[in-house]
Amino acid sequence: MPAIDGSLETLQAALTYHRERHTVLAGNVANLDTPGYRPLDLSRPSPGGDGQTQVITSFDDGGAFQGPDGNAVSLERELAKIDANRTRYNTTAELVSRRIAMLRYAAGDGT
Amino acid sequence: MSTTDFFSAMEVSASGLSAQRTRMNVASSNLANAQTTQAADGGAYKRRDVVMKSTDVPGAQGSQFQQFIKGVAVEQITEDQRPPRLEYDPGHPHANAEGYVAYPNINPVEEMVDMITASRAYEAGITAMSTAVNMAERALGIGR
Repeated sequence: MPAIDGSLETLQAALTYHRERHTVLAGNVANLDTPGYRPLDLSRPSPGGDGQTQVITSFDDGGAFQGPDGNAVSLERELAKIDANRTRYNTTAELVSRRIAMLRYAAGDGT
Repeated sequence: MSTTDFFSAMEVSASGLSAQRTRMNVASSNLANAQTTQAADGGAYKRRDVVMKSTDVPGAQGSQFQQFIKGVAVEQITEDQRPPRLEYDPGHPHANAEGYVAYPNINPVEEMVDMITASRAYEAGITAMSTAVNMAERALGIGR
């Protein structure tokens, strides 16, 4: 059930996606020294067959040159992803705030 | 659709921090015992090494991405099997019948490199954790 329009639901799904992705990326950093570990990532959400749901898949992020112990985590790459992901999350949070401010303005007497 | 919360992200980072701290402790122990000619098992101290393994995070259970959220744990601490360094010193109380004393085969440079690597990995874990906290704070600020 959309609240006035669908934009808040869309933004909420975006916040959830970025939060999940942060957890996955934090796991890559934690496994910096785990032999044989390959870094993981979540794909950007794409619309599902019914046009309503969002499909998110995970994939092997390829990472860096695989070291002798089979670990392919690149610290710089993961930290860059974490930072970019954080910026996207914060931007989305700001959009939600502004959307709510607009709704508040519309619901009030325009002052 | 079930998802995780920020606490799972912090749990993941915390597991990494704790594993790196163990590694730091083991490297310090190796350095401290570089001259130990008689360890608990009788022989010269044997260099120790940390083996890590990725683990599932309890907080991520039930999430649709559960299998992609990986923490880390120290699987075991192994003893390095390289032979001890022998030095001729017949007067030493731990000398063998031929007058040789077995010293642990520890290379201080190797241990220092290990400590620096662990320390950098620890810092990276802190960064990931502060990011989760920052995101959670921004979420709390929605609508203000």
